[in-house]
Amino acid sequence: MLKQELIAKNPIRHLKAGSEGQARAQMGLVMARAGLGKTAMLVQIALDSLLNGKQVIHVSIGQSLEKTRIWYDDIFKDIVEGCKLASPYEIYDEIMRNRMIMTFKESSFSRARLEERLNDLVYQNLIRPGCMVVDGYDFTVVDHQTLQDLGEMARAMDLEVWFSAVSHQEDEEAKGGGVPAPCHEVADLFDTVVLLQPAAGSECIDLNILKDTTGKAGDRVLQLDPITFMVKEGC
Amino acid sequence: MRDLAKARNIGISAHIDSGKTTLTERILFYTQRIHAIHEVRGKDGVGATMDSMELERERGITIASAATFCDWKDYTINIIDTPGHVDFTIEVERALRVLDGAILVLCSVGGVQSQSITVNRQMTRYRVPRMAFINKCDRTGANPDRVTQQLRDKLNLNAVPLQVPIGLESDLAGVVDLVSMKALYFEGDQGEIIREAEIPDNLSEEVATKREALLDAASMFSDELMEAILEGEPNEEMIRAAIRKGTLARELTPVLVGSAYKNKGIQPLLDAVTYYLPNPQEVTNYALDLNNEEAEFRVTNDPKDPLIALAFKLEDGRYGQLTYLRTYQGTMRKGDSIVNIRTGKKIKVGRLVRMHADQMEDIEETGAGDIVALFGVDCASGDTFTDGSVNYSMSSMHVPAPVISLAIRPVDNKAQGNMSKALNRFTKEDPTFKTFVDTETNETIISGMGELHLEVYIERMKREYKAEVEVGAPQVAYRETVTQKAEFNYTHKKQTGGSGQFGRVAGYLEPLEEGEYEFVDKIVGGVIPREFISSCDKGFQKAMAKGSLVGAPITGIRCVINDGSSHAVDSSDVAFQQAALGAFRDGYLKAKPVIMEPIMKVAVEGPTEFQGGIMGSLNQRRGMIIGTTEEEDYTVVEAEVPLSEMFGYSTDLRSLTQGKAEFTMEFAAYRPVPKSVAEELVAKAKKEKEQQDKK
Repeated sequence: MLKQELIAKNPIRHLKAGSEGQARAQMGLVMARAGLGKTAMLVQIALDSLLNGKQVIHVSIGQSLEKTRIWYDDIFKDIVEGCKLASPYEIYDEIMRNRMIMTFKESSFSRARLEERLNDLVYQNLIRPGCMVVDGYDFTVVDHQTLQDLGEMARAMDLEVWFSAVSHQEDEEAKGGGVPAPCHEVADLFDTVVLLQPAAGSECIDLNILKDTTGKAGDRVLQLDPITFMVKEGC
Repeated sequence: MRDLAKARNIGISAHIDSGKTTLTERILFYTQRIHAIHEVRGKDGVGATMDSMELERERGITIASAATFCDWKDYTINIIDTPGHVDFTIEVERALRVLDGAILVLCSVGGVQSQSITVNRQMTRYRVPRMAFINKCDRTGANPDRVTQQLRDKLNLNAVPLQVPIGLESDLAGVVDLVSMKALYFEGDQGEIIREAEIPDNLSEEVATKREALLDAASMFSDELMEAILEGEPNEEMIRAAIRKGTLARELTPVLVGSAYKNKGIQPLLDAVTYYLPNPQEVTNYALDLNNEEAEFRVTNDPKDPLIALAFKLEDGRYGQLTYLRTYQGTMRKGDSIVNIRTGKKIKVGRLVRMHADQMEDIEETGAGDIVALFGVDCASGDTFTDGSVNYSMSSMHVPAPVISLAIRPVDNKAQGNMSKALNRFTKEDPTFKTFVDTETNETIISGMGELHLEVYIERMKREYKAEVEVGAPQVAYRETVTQKAEFNYTHKKQTGGSGQFGRVAGYLEPLEEGEYEFVDKIVGGVIPREFISSCDKGFQKAMAKGSLVGAPITGIRCVINDGSSHAVDSSDVAFQQAALGAFRDGYLKAKPVIMEPIMKVAVEGPTEFQGGIMGSLNQRRGMIIGTTEEEDYTVVEAEVPLSEMFGYSTDLRSLTQGKAEFTMEFAAYRPVPKSVAEELVAKAKKEKEQQDKK
């Protein structure tokens, strides 16, 4: 399979605004309980952008650089195995050149710091990201203004940003079909909100699209494979 | 045999010039191992006992670590004097492997400096419990409180003072022990008499506050202590036990103060070593089981179990070759046979000694957890010895191939002899250091894992072996490989006088994903006779020694032969070797060969303010930045950078960051060089070849 085909077939496509390769500034949020595949999901979103030739910044809060790197290696391997990609190593080398991982200790992360880093990178022409994924951001302490600032910064940089957030079963149930705590108060800032939940009656994990202002997802049923955490269209 | 509970293997580690060697000297004096005190930069021309290499004496620094044995009260302490200079961190890491605990020495004026940060990080990596000693409290500007705060802020240690200095700078008179609540004064000519007294009134407030903080911190590790505090006054043993627990868990760092130079605070430091640092049984060490794919095996520390010992340091001194060993389990006696796991060779334990810097003491046997030296053992640094019944190794058997080389030329005949002696020694000490003679240029080539790595050895050659050498420019070890399948069909024919030569070899070559070379014989019907198949194999391998792009060795190729022809009289081994050689060259150029270069995994660590600059500097060097890790005000930038671009980086980095950042690098992989660079390399190789041909 060729790279182009892989891009077109990627079910992640249905979550992203804009047409293939032309995704525009957008704020996305992936919520789930611990261990359901938030990081895997973010990495797939990042890999999709990378395959599209965009540069990606992966911000990992509280996780080590090595661990984050291994996520990419594993998911890329799964993609390659799943679709018999031609010359996978060349593609891998190429996309890795376009990825930068920034890890922060929980205590040293702040919006101001992130902004400073990003500006510095762009100013020095080291990377010009088209997509940023932020894993491990603590939504229990975030206020509306901070997140709004982040969103404005992303728009100014023409950046697609995806966050992950931890939710809890009781909050999910309490909210019914709405965006659960701790993100319910900032839900208005996101264009897309996805909640990962174990599918009833099967091993799979459902991608419940709670909010989708891009209108791309439609009525599609997306799920995560419980073993590889790969996104696929209904199993 | 040593009572393991009363044994300590400790290291003393610190930034250059924080007085570590002086401290060690004092420790040896008070433990009555030496009978006179010499200064590091001694006016008496003797120098401190631990600095046994001449170079170290001259510079006032410690390069190689020597292990020294001493007694304190009824405890036995092995001290590994670890190097403090940034350029010798390989030695530091090697020493850290065999330590159970460490004293981090800091200057009360300079505080936590970049080297302390590196050393502390290395200690964290090797899980070494440590305590801090704030030295030089007699110096102008001494401020132990500030240093303690730095230990917390910069090193992330839970630093808790166990003492309060009595006076500072020139008024330093002694220390108050916050556990026993006594003031200690050091009297006599060399501070050997300790006088206990009541706490001076002017300090009572500070002492009370710090004692409370100490009890608070210690009680986190002991419920018993917590209860005792609530009920009234806890006893000394209880407090010590709690501090010990916290220290062993690496969650508390006791801080002591003093001045080695003025002989103040050394004996309490030794007491603290026995109170708070672990004995060998309290530390978990792992061996690798070679019979089980290097699975980790926890060593038992039991003297009755099969012997496992690690040779961590070789020394070539006036006694001949000395090998320092740390025993992890089992017992080794004089006259025993032990097996070197790497070579499989059996050796007999001749003399077994305990080393005191430059003097030694013969012993009959040594048990688990001890550090001793052996005489005349032929081995390399990092080798594991066992009694032969088990196949464990303390360090991985995998030795990476060298990635950089230098040509060296002795300046005269005398240097020639000394140089070969030195090279022989270094290759034994360090498995990643290699040497050979290039048959084409007749030059001696040394190769290793980085520029600095080789520089250290060249310096040692000059200093220790008086081998003055001229050094060529560093060369990166390039390789060549093919990127696609290509066919070959080559006939070797020669008919000049005597018997002729004839052989035809046909087939294809293709990239091999894993491994260096594979030969596949698909000949049917005997078109190439059986006896000449191996000749073809030989011919291919000969061709692979030197690629046609830049003359680098070729790797990662599968050679398949599927056709050929022979002649009843003229075909021979040589003829088919030549045919295969020709066939390979024929196919090689068609298979789109590329040059591969070593890529290093580089980690640069420095204050966050320099992050941008560091990234820029790596980017300029064709580096691929993998990512950054930020912790408080400290950042690590990780990148993959071609080795050829890393020459001189330490100097650049120093000027870029005012000397506040450091970098480490290790070999990661071989990768194809970009086209523009490849063209340059090919042109350069061509030019060199022309010049050689002219000669």
